[in-house]
Amino acid sequence: MWELVARSLEASTIFLFAALGELIDQRSGVLNVGLEGLMLFGGTAAFITAQTTGSHALGFLAGLTLGGLLGLGHGFFSITLRGDQVVSGMGLWILSFGLTTYLGSPYTGPLGLGRIPSLWGLSPFFPLGVALVAITWLLLFRTGLGLAIRSAGENPAAAEASGIPVTSIRFLCVALGGMLAGLSGATYTLSYNPVWNYNFLMGWGFVSLALVFFSMWNPWILLAGASLFGIMWQLSLSPELILPGVLSRYVWRTVPFAITIPILCIISTPWFRTRWGLAKPEALGRPYAKG
Amino acid sequence: MRLGRYELTLEPRPARPAIFTALTAVVAILLALALSSFLFLSSDTRLIDAYRAVFSYAFFNPHGVLATVHRSIYLLFCTYAFLVPFRAGLWNIGLPGQVYAGGLAAFAVPFVLRTHNPQTLALPPGLLIVLMIAAAAAAGAATGGFAGLLRAKLQVNEILVTMMLNSILFWLVAYMIKEGGPFMSATGEGESFGLPSSLHAPLLLGVPVTAVLALCVAVLLDLLFAKTALGYRIRAFGENPAAARYGGIIPVALSLLVFLLGGAFAALAGYHYFAAVPGVYKIPGNYGYYGDLGFYGIIAALIARGSSLGAVPIVVLFAGLSVGARFAQGELRLPFGVDYALLGLLMMTFVASHVLYHFRFGWRRIPSEALQPVPTELPRG
Amino acid sequence: MSPPDLAPTEPILAARGITKRFPGVLALDHVDLEIQAGEIHAVLGQNGAGKTTLMNILFGLLQPDEGALYLREQRIRFRSPHDALARGIGMVHQTRRLVSAHTVLENIALGHPRTRGFLNLRSTRLEVEALGNRYGFTVPLGARVWQLSEGERQWVEILKALYRGAEILILDEPTAALTPPEVKTLLAGLQTLVRDHGVTVLLVTHKLPIVMAVSHRVTVLRSGRVVARLRTADAAEESLVQHMIGRDIAFRTMNRSAEMGRPLLQVEQLSAFNDKGLLALRGVSFSLREGEVLGVAGVTGNGQEELAQVLAGLRPAASGRVRLDGRDVTRLSPLQRWRMGVGYIPAERIEVASIATFSLVENTALNYHFDPAFIRRGLLDNAGLEQLTQRIVTTYNVKAPSQYARAQHLSGGNLQKLILGRVLSRNPRLLIAHLPTQGLDVEAAAFVRATLVEATAEGAAVLLISEDLDEILSLSDWVAPIYEGRFGAIIPRAEAGAETVGAMMAGVGMKEAGVR
Ligand SMILES: Nc1ncnc2c1ncn2[C@@H]1O[C@H](COP(=O)(O)OP(=O)(O)O)[C@@H](O)[C@H]1O
Ligand SMILES: [Mg+2]
Repeated sequence: MWELVARSLEASTIFLFAALGELIDQRSGVLNVGLEGLMLFGGTAAFITAQTTGSHALGFLAGLTLGGLLGLGHGFFSITLRGDQVVSGMGLWILSFGLTTYLGSPYTGPLGLGRIPSLWGLSPFFPLGVALVAITWLLLFRTGLGLAIRSAGENPAAAEASGIPVTSIRFLCVALGGMLAGLSGATYTLSYNPVWNYNFLMGWGFVSLALVFFSMWNPWILLAGASLFGIMWQLSLSPELILPGVLSRYVWRTVPFAITIPILCIISTPWFRTRWGLAKPEALGRPYAKG
Repeated sequence: MRLGRYELTLEPRPARPAIFTALTAVVAILLALALSSFLFLSSDTRLIDAYRAVFSYAFFNPHGVLATVHRSIYLLFCTYAFLVPFRAGLWNIGLPGQVYAGGLAAFAVPFVLRTHNPQTLALPPGLLIVLMIAAAAAAGAATGGFAGLLRAKLQVNEILVTMMLNSILFWLVAYMIKEGGPFMSATGEGESFGLPSSLHAPLLLGVPVTAVLALCVAVLLDLLFAKTALGYRIRAFGENPAAARYGGIIPVALSLLVFLLGGAFAALAGYHYFAAVPGVYKIPGNYGYYGDLGFYGIIAALIARGSSLGAVPIVVLFAGLSVGARFAQGELRLPFGVDYALLGLLMMTFVASHVLYHFRFGWRRIPSEALQPVPTELPRG
Repeated sequence: MSPPDLAPTEPILAARGITKRFPGVLALDHVDLEIQAGEIHAVLGQNGAGKTTLMNILFGLLQPDEGALYLREQRIRFRSPHDALARGIGMVHQTRRLVSAHTVLENIALGHPRTRGFLNLRSTRLEVEALGNRYGFTVPLGARVWQLSEGERQWVEILKALYRGAEILILDEPTAALTPPEVKTLLAGLQTLVRDHGVTVLLVTHKLPIVMAVSHRVTVLRSGRVVARLRTADAAEESLVQHMIGRDIAFRTMNRSAEMGRPLLQVEQLSAFNDKGLLALRGVSFSLREGEVLGVAGVTGNGQEELAQVLAGLRPAASGRVRLDGRDVTRLSPLQRWRMGVGYIPAERIEVASIATFSLVENTALNYHFDPAFIRRGLLDNAGLEQLTQRIVTTYNVKAPSQYARAQHLSGGNLQKLILGRVLSRNPRLLIAHLPTQGLDVEAAAFVRATLVEATAEGAAVLLISEDLDEILSLSDWVAPIYEGRFGAIIPRAEAGAETVGAMMAGVGMKEAGVR
């Protein structure tokens, strides 16, 4: 039982890292729907690096770096060029999907390194995730920089007029967000499931994206949501632990995805929006031009 | 950006003639092809031989040409499936899911009517084929329409919903065809039962009838957007939903309509691949590969900038490349996934060409006056 | 008030030879501006004169193409507002620059050098409160900005600038969204700041009375050029108007025939929610006859938008009823109302009333794509639409490169004329015109007003919603001041004085909502 819980929590850190990065992005007003792409790239880069160098640390570094760079690329398109952020995000995802399939395929198979040591069976990434949630919360709500980030996402013109360099702030956030997404992918391929496969994520990134909307842009709620989805994910992989023999295991695999849709609907109802909707960054997804 | 005495600026392009639109598409594709040379570098064959292998198989080898045609039809339907909602400003990335829905529904017809067993054929095969196509289109439309409805009624993000539906349907197909699922083949190999030959889609000159359909739709869609009131409404809604609503367009109806259409097109792609391509006539175990291939439809529609006829040559080229690359992969021992890499490269060059399409670079000599250092900090007082 | 000593001293802030080009527009052409310490300096000019562009350059938001800024006669460059703020220049923008979801205190703290590292909002609060006491005004620091009135928001911005240590305060059209009493308070407050606290104020406006009331000196801009530089005491109003406009255009009451037709529209106890789910329109009742103009006067955000949208069918009514020709239309769709002769000119020309990337012809089609006369077997009649567009372009004097130019390349005035022409070409019986002249230059605005009057002569009833009291008073048969979703009264034009209507716009002296 504890094993299942530990495994679930590890799964949830993958959602958590990616979603936390996206949350920071979105708080500054940048929408990156290509989150899954960043994770694919981060995960693949981490896997290849770790396998060739034999070092987990270098693997993580590669994942973080590539994630951050791709985040900056998204920033260039959406902040500097003021392009459509959805076009850029989807582009990033398809780019990653295509290139990682090609780049990763020679490495298909297990990582072949020792497992990362765990604390009483629990992956060390979960406490790291909780710490990151706390840090993000402190950053966003207790520091001047956080106020600047939130203002850039709500009303960039107001932030600029207050002397906040909106462009730099947004670039900082997309870089941070990209790094976290890369970390998430790296955690997947180096720790959670250290085997490289074709399109190994199969929707984790999109679920993380949905989690950000569920969280009402609050890191603590995000932590709760990610944990819930981690458990659900793990149960969907081994339903026999709870309901042995009921329905095919393939049907259970649809559950995390199927649950996402009604939750998305609920948070989209007018009732929910008028009550809680104020949390959504007002300028989310809208390019900003000075002056 | 400053470089010495000169300043590099990005300025929005005021007007973009049609020829320019075509030109950016061509440039994007050529650039991706050039970049893909790097993919071939890793093998020990010469670059020119690699390209020759890809193209000669795809467009000159009899097997290859047929495979290219089949794949083109498939990708064309996927392109329409993305293109129609996209003209209304909506993102249908549920192509794989809708493809699977179409495949499942098409196979459900003989399954329910027990006609996959040749002894108990109940209805004339012609009628059954029409029924299969109709069922596929209806199932795809329902899958797409679901996302469209949620988008229209509640503003639920259609990217997320269609993506979730992709995963759900992926596993549903697995359930249906694997481990004793209802559609599993008698041999129990993790693929669906094969269609009896009477239910194979008819061939014209060796090409399934779906080809005719695909080409007709290409013409009709461009006409729809250019000439009809409905097309005008879709475009108006895509450019500015608030203005469209002001102009009397009902957003719910419109979002639903484009997603119904889009879903139906993707489902026809599914019908085509699983029930009309000679040599297949079943849902194979690696159906996921065909589903993901549908994403080529997104990039084809984007590069064609929403023109269905413009997408035809692009799609044929992609289809040939992906077919040829698969072949060359075996011949030249290239790594797996050259076709996917190409997909990624195309996306990259598309985004780059998108920038060139909307902006032009300008060089400006900085007046010497402005170069003189000017204090930005002064002593106060 | 008595102007301070205006002996030419060295200016505290100066702009010399400033030129700024936007694609296709020369917004500023070698502009010189000099501001003395301790004065209220007015910059006067009509819409599009370049005032905002000049202020944005002074504040570091934009960079000049030519020319330079001088602070206390030292050349200086502001790379961003950050630099300007650090040099003691604060700006209150034409449109509010506040984060509405954040508290007043968070807004004031935003960007302050003290907020580097951890936020200490408690000490900020104490400091801001002390500052407010010193200057003699208070704002609710804990409230969220969206809960405040427009007047309060303006004070928040001023306080914010002062907290940043601004000695020079730029206010761009500060009175645009204020009710007359709020304007009075603002101007008095500014005078106190200048007189008692040594602040220098740069006041940008297109409203002459404000210039005359408080400024010491005035610089007049026209089409990006400085056309006059005067002491206010020496300036005659008429000559300022001439400088501003380039020739004489007097604002006069439109003469209209007083014949009224049959009753057309009855609105009973109409209420509606805004996008935040709050009741923004609260039980409005009125009726309108053919050929009549009802002017709804009020500051934006008091339910006008909701009123217009509910009448056009774009927003559901929470309660109440709308009758057209005696028929209940409360639940009809926008299209059904168009067909019954309801024409709507939304306030948002670019966001709602037009499609920027569409050509003029396609924009004309926006009100015609359901009209059977323009559809043949599902196909749009393009030739017919072209003819129609040509007619609108000629009749309404729309200046455009061609019919196939994109709407985004039209200036605000020409776009508005196209929209007006398109809506009027359908011969609406009821015309809802929301802020029809906002942001237009004087000539275009006059043209739009004259066109509205013409429409009434043809028997259309007009619901004119405007912030401009003069416009309302010059066009309307009935005047309805609106405040917080209610009509203060419905007053016949002859009895409507600017003072009473202005007071009611601010919620003062609201009578029981009168129903005619
Ligand atoms: N960002 C911009 N891009 C293009 N044109 C602009 C921009 N800002 C202002 N303009 C143009 O510059 C001129 C001056 O505008 P503005 O400074 O806003 O005038 P004012 O504040 O006096 O009404 C107008 O013709 C306006 O259309
Ligand atoms: Mg202005």
